[in-house]
Amino acid sequence: MSEHVRTTTADAAAVPHAPLRAGEALLRVEGLVKHFPLTQGIVFKKTIGQVRAVDGVNFTLNAGETLGLVGESGCGKSTVSKLLMSLERPTAGSVFYKGTDITNLKGRELRRLRRNIQIIFQDPYSSLNPRMTVGDIVSEPWDIHPDVVAPKDRGRRTRELLERVGLNPDFVNRYPHQFSGGQRQRIGIARALALQPEIIICDEPVSALDVSVQAQVVNLLAELQQDFGLAYIFIAHDLSVVRHISNRVAVMYLGSIVEIGSEDDIYEKTAHPYTQALLSAVPVLDPAVRAHKKRIMLTGDVPSPANPPSGCRFRTRCWKAQDVCAEKAPELVDRGQGHPVACHFAEAVQVVEALDVVDEPLPATEPGLSAPGSRRIGSAPADRSEA
Amino acid sequence: MTSSLTHPQVSGGPTGSALLEVDDLHVEFRTDYGVVNAVNGISYTLSAGETLAILGESGCGKSVSAQTIMGILDSPPGFVTGGEIRYQGRDLLQMSAKEQRDIRGEEISIVFQDALSSLNPVFTVGMQIGEMFRRHRGYSRGDAKKAAVELMDRVRIPSAKERVGDYPHQFSGGMRQRVMIAMAIALDPAILIADEPTTALDVTVQAQIMDLLGELQRDTGMGLILITHDLAVVGEIADRIAVMYAGRIVETGATDAVFGAPAMPYTQGLMASIARVDQKGQRLNPIVGAPPNLAALPTGCPFHPRCPRATPRCPTELPLLREVVPGRRAACHYAEEVLGV
Repeated sequence: MSEHVRTTTADAAAVPHAPLRAGEALLRVEGLVKHFPLTQGIVFKKTIGQVRAVDGVNFTLNAGETLGLVGESGCGKSTVSKLLMSLERPTAGSVFYKGTDITNLKGRELRRLRRNIQIIFQDPYSSLNPRMTVGDIVSEPWDIHPDVVAPKDRGRRTRELLERVGLNPDFVNRYPHQFSGGQRQRIGIARALALQPEIIICDEPVSALDVSVQAQVVNLLAELQQDFGLAYIFIAHDLSVVRHISNRVAVMYLGSIVEIGSEDDIYEKTAHPYTQALLSAVPVLDPAVRAHKKRIMLTGDVPSPANPPSGCRFRTRCWKAQDVCAEKAPELVDRGQGHPVACHFAEAVQVVEALDVVDEPLPATEPGLSAPGSRRIGSAPADRSEA
Repeated sequence: MTSSLTHPQVSGGPTGSALLEVDDLHVEFRTDYGVVNAVNGISYTLSAGETLAILGESGCGKSVSAQTIMGILDSPPGFVTGGEIRYQGRDLLQMSAKEQRDIRGEEISIVFQDALSSLNPVFTVGMQIGEMFRRHRGYSRGDAKKAAVELMDRVRIPSAKERVGDYPHQFSGGMRQRVMIAMAIALDPAILIADEPTTALDVTVQAQIMDLLGELQRDTGMGLILITHDLAVVGEIADRIAVMYAGRIVETGATDAVFGAPAMPYTQGLMASIARVDQKGQRLNPIVGAPPNLAALPTGCPFHPRCPRATPRCPTELPLLREVVPGRRAACHYAEEVLGV
């Protein structure tokens, strides 16, 4: 398998990515805003309000790192991913790729940019065209970017990609319905890799998968990141998976980031009340850890993004809320916790005690399961049981 | 039943004290593509006040077994081909449609995963909750509405009085699930089946709903069957657990005992494969392969193609669910070794 890896990196060098200036982040998002108009009427549409899906989001993504983006449904995390892909136009704000503003790119330039930023969708069932064979799906990006792979090499490269994501390369002529959910997600990953991107946006890539299959896909993503030096924006609502895969984590609530920091900052020195509540709500398997977990039960529901509360957006559900919260929206700055928090009363708390597990097999695990996993993930047995 | 010898009960107490006994249940679906063996002889019992979790991945037969208990299995294509489901000693499967209807809602009720598609969009939630009282208790419209408001208060839907006339789409996902729970507990059932009640919900809402279910159970002493794929949720609320794989129960026991030291490689694999919020990123240890196709089950132990311990015995001989240590049962030839006893 390592042979293919080498070939691919060699190919990648043939199509050089623009160099990254020192001190410049791979991706920088500044004041990103997306409002969707609420309209009334059928023929004569009248705007009666705005859904503030994303309302002032700033973050950076460095080369080769994983930024986790967590939040509950409706917090705007998927809208952010669409804005980054230029699938939606922002109402305000900019996205910089290697220092260049890419917000308003069009035509050929946009197409060239998209080669470097790819996306993996949540639902592997609806994101693959049921009438196309796997080979056609994976090689379709080369129809749009013919210079990446020469036509005569396409067949070979498709098979390499399939093998790299743990699928049998002899399946190129099969259709998506002949695969299981986990295998379909691998096809989506192969398609995202086809153009040798630098950034892959993973929008809930494992939420739709079976528990026992999720880990296979998470491990595959981690391996690919190492092999190709990919940067991920990993969007998920599952805080456990995000902790597992991310270097840094941003927590979103009602269209803005409330807390951002390293994985340790967010999970061990949790400073925003919303992040604390979110972490406290995650069920814990280990009874010993559960006994020490702080219990914070939020009341009520997330307010409508069409009519967000004044000041701090979380104040309507926050147990720390005071008058100042209604008057003044807290800025996302470091308030002495070592990482930026948007709360007037930020205070670092350890909600869940972490067990520091070293990178060796869990005590109760089979040697076979923990062995150099890359060889086993979705290899022959997976394909046999499905096909 | 002779089969109860080969399929021992999953139970704490002796037979007879249990509220619900499922005994060697078989369900199959006859489709155009062949017979799908969804449930292949499962047995368990539930006592009052107890929470039993049925844990499994999609397609393992956990929801089908719940539908069979409720008498809402789509038939055709689904057929019960064997076994008994005894509620207080009476076999539900032998009852007439009318007798079943009287038990449904009154004695045993269910909360489904997807509240939006389980509620009728053209009736107010008040009418849908009140219908339980009108149908089963003969309440008048006005009384039913009053009872609905009380129930909505009980499941903590804010300003219940004003919201009783609202339609399902006017509620959030969590509130809709509360409406479903209100309907399910309306007639004080002895057993509540919760089929993936929080899978479609956000994690903070999930915590609220699980909290509510636990509280209702403490108040009413009902037995709760929680069907889920989420190990951590099971760990938080269940007394006992039954792990299902390919239409069979493969391991049972007290929740903490099972999660403390699983006796079946599948349970062990599941525990090793999940990312945990209390553990920093190390490599996950996935189970290889994918769950089997129920229309073409592997021979012998259905888990053997994915099992790291499989020996030549496994593809030829089906391991039966048997007692490994007191109170613990597992369907694995090597359960003792897995457990380390």
